[in-house]
Amino acid sequence: MIDTSAARLAVRPPTSTARQWWVLTVRVITPTLRNGEVVTLVAASIMFTAGFYIPLKHIVGAFIEGTGSYAQYLMPLIALNGIAFAALSAAFRSATDSVQGINRRFKAMPIPSLIPLASRMSASMYRCSMALAVALICGHVIGFRFYGGVAHTVGFCLVALLIGAALSLLGDLIGVATENPEATVPLMLLPVMIFGQLSVGLQPAERFPEWIQSFVRDQPISQFVYTLRALAGDSTAATGEVTWSVIGPAMAWLAGLILIVIPLHRLVASRRR
Amino acid sequence: MMAVASEDMTVGRGTWENSPRRLVPNTWVLTARVLRRWSRDPATVLESLIMPVALLVTVNIVLGKGISEVTGDSALYRSVPLIAMVGAMSGSMVGGMGLMRERTDGLLSRLWVLPVHRASDLLSRLAADAVRIVGTTVVIMCAAFVLGFRFRQGILASVAWLFIPTAFGLAFTVVVITLALYSAKTIAVEATEIIWGLLMFFSTGFVPLEQYPRWIQPVVEHQPVSYAVEAMRGLSLGGAVLEPLIGLLLWSTGIVLACAIPMAIGFRRASTRG
Repeated sequence: MIDTSAARLAVRPPTSTARQWWVLTVRVITPTLRNGEVVTLVAASIMFTAGFYIPLKHIVGAFIEGTGSYAQYLMPLIALNGIAFAALSAAFRSATDSVQGINRRFKAMPIPSLIPLASRMSASMYRCSMALAVALICGHVIGFRFYGGVAHTVGFCLVALLIGAALSLLGDLIGVATENPEATVPLMLLPVMIFGQLSVGLQPAERFPEWIQSFVRDQPISQFVYTLRALAGDSTAATGEVTWSVIGPAMAWLAGLILIVIPLHRLVASRRR
Repeated sequence: MMAVASEDMTVGRGTWENSPRRLVPNTWVLTARVLRRWSRDPATVLESLIMPVALLVTVNIVLGKGISEVTGDSALYRSVPLIAMVGAMSGSMVGGMGLMRERTDGLLSRLWVLPVHRASDLLSRLAADAVRIVGTTVVIMCAAFVLGFRFRQGILASVAWLFIPTAFGLAFTVVVITLALYSAKTIAVEATEIIWGLLMFFSTGFVPLEQYPRWIQPVVEHQPVSYAVEAMRGLSLGGAVLEPLIGLLLWSTGIVLACAIPMAIGFRRASTRG
């Protein structure tokens, strides 16, 4: 009796949290290289760039005053849409995992409760970085340029990735909580499209009907767009300086979102079925 | 119980498993199954009935003014058909995902060993989808009435209007089911989204044809969603109906014909190999 338990202790390999995190991260990333997910990510970013820029260039671009080009104006929304799409695929992944029961299996193993989440998050950040890179290349093709110097350019990428992280956390939560892959993706895609269109990303707030203008101006996507636009800069001075009054609200939204979602994750992760 | 069983036996003797006499009742039962399942899933209901309405209101707020200024008539006669098509296409993913899940759960192989018509499961999924698309279109139509959309071409045209999204939506469902049978889950879903996204952005329902650069205009003009939008515009506001309708039906028929055999083979494979 004593012998067997001693033997069991002896064969059990040492585990470290960092190693567990890395193993689980690779587990999520590896399939994306094989099953063509990279292709859909690239295609999605191209679709958002072409799909907003080509049809709307004249009809909406004509009303944009002061900025260098419509591409410059549109870029934040394109990047946000590409990143949101990447975050959605993360949500889909976690919902599928959840249905297949691997999360339940993890709960029965000696893994800290937030490690599976952390590994899914790092995999989503990998997706988001790829989406951002493709979006920036697409933007470059239609005429988007960084005018703000190195610090602001890095800031642009960091803020965009932070938004991706917050969205991934939210999407992951919805995916795990509903355990319903059939509904998770469409459930998130349409709000993204609705909020994206009802923002200052496509056209200035003044072009919207009066009753909805204050919503358009203050909703989180618009705040993200203001921030990214300021960080990207412009050939003219129209986008304004990078000040706390411009980027503050976006940061507050992000911090608020992350602070609300993480405890909910803990709640869902400890839920018993 | 005995009576039912013996009756079944006699039907079974006279009509073999794939008899056309079994097709309709079997399909009916399975269609009711799919529809019941959807109606009890709040996420599916939310997505197929509420989301399109929200999207319609949004598109109307965002682009309605600009497009009405450019074209002269209300943008609703283009955006309502566009959203009906988007609702039809985005919702077909629910059916595709359901199929994948039921393959994993073993329902497909279970049906395969039961004496039901081989075609009835696939047909029931398409039939359920047709019901879903008509339902979504009715809801969108009601929302459009509130926004100021009116039928100007009489009752017959209005009824025809209601069924146009189904004409292409079913073909799209066939594509989604075929994709679902052959590819990894994530890819099928994301590829579907990209396809309907492209069809939406590059259609005459999004902005009028003249707004697109000249080199892409032929593509925009002749793609199925544009055809559907133009046909529905003709049936509600007035204008050419026959030509876009023929184009739409050609697209749908072509897609269904191209996918039919791969879909049948994929379905057999999915049913017989776990």
